[in-house]
Amino acid sequence: MTTVVPQRPAPPVVARGYGALRVPGLVLAAAVAATSVVATVDPNQPGHYPTCPFLAVTGYYCPGCGSLRALHDLAHGDVVGALARNPLMVLATSGLLVAFVLWTRRRWRGLPRTWAAPASVLYGLLALVLAFWVLRNVPGWTWLSPA
Amino acid sequence: MSDYGTPPPPPPPPYTPDYYSSGAGGAPPPNYLVWAILSTVLCCLPLGVVSIVFAAQVNSKWAAGDVAGAREASNKAKNFAMWSAIAGVVAGILWLVFVVALGSFGSSSMSNGY
Repeated sequence: MTTVVPQRPAPPVVARGYGALRVPGLVLAAAVAATSVVATVDPNQPGHYPTCPFLAVTGYYCPGCGSLRALHDLAHGDVVGALARNPLMVLATSGLLVAFVLWTRRRWRGLPRTWAAPASVLYGLLALVLAFWVLRNVPGWTWLSPA
Repeated sequence: MSDYGTPPPPPPPPYTPDYYSSGAGGAPPPNYLVWAILSTVLCCLPLGVVSIVFAAQVNSKWAAGDVAGAREASNKAKNFAMWSAIAGVVAGILWLVFVVALGSFGSSSMSNGY
């Protein structure tokens, strides 16, 4: 018998090319399906979608309130309307689109993620969300509120 | 192809850069920021805000060279994203049950939302 030489495990095979695009394809399909539903079933009609649980329980808007109507507006090309409903939603959608493109490109090339955003950016995002949460509930100051 | 007696192939060289284990030049652990943003904006559950904190911790610990800490924060971020997604689905189902129950009692008109 030969002695078994312990070998380090083979490097993980990173899928690339068309096979690697299956997951982004599924994500894209899910996003398109969800957007189509929100575009056709109008969230401006009460009863079509659940009321935000945070709003229902506390009576205050959360950072996500108005996002369905904003997505509905965006799907119909009404960026101004979407910004009026929830500006954070418009920002998040743009960010997610950019992230999706970068992620898909990385998978296509079979490369791992090598870059991490500076933590200050993420803490800045946190501060932005918290400030938005408070400011949109200021009475009489409605330009950030979803109403 | 290979006859008896041919020497075995040499062991594979250590692969560089070592993407999946650690250290400078490796891949940073996932911070699940996309899930944090999705739950902040879509689920409208405050859980998303906590997910953003975990995501920021992953990146700050990674930047400071604390690989183990970054991994740990990454795991927390993953668990939190999972639980906020589950909470969102459960809340949705509860709402559906609630509405169906209300409907059968003849009440109606939910307004003002989302």
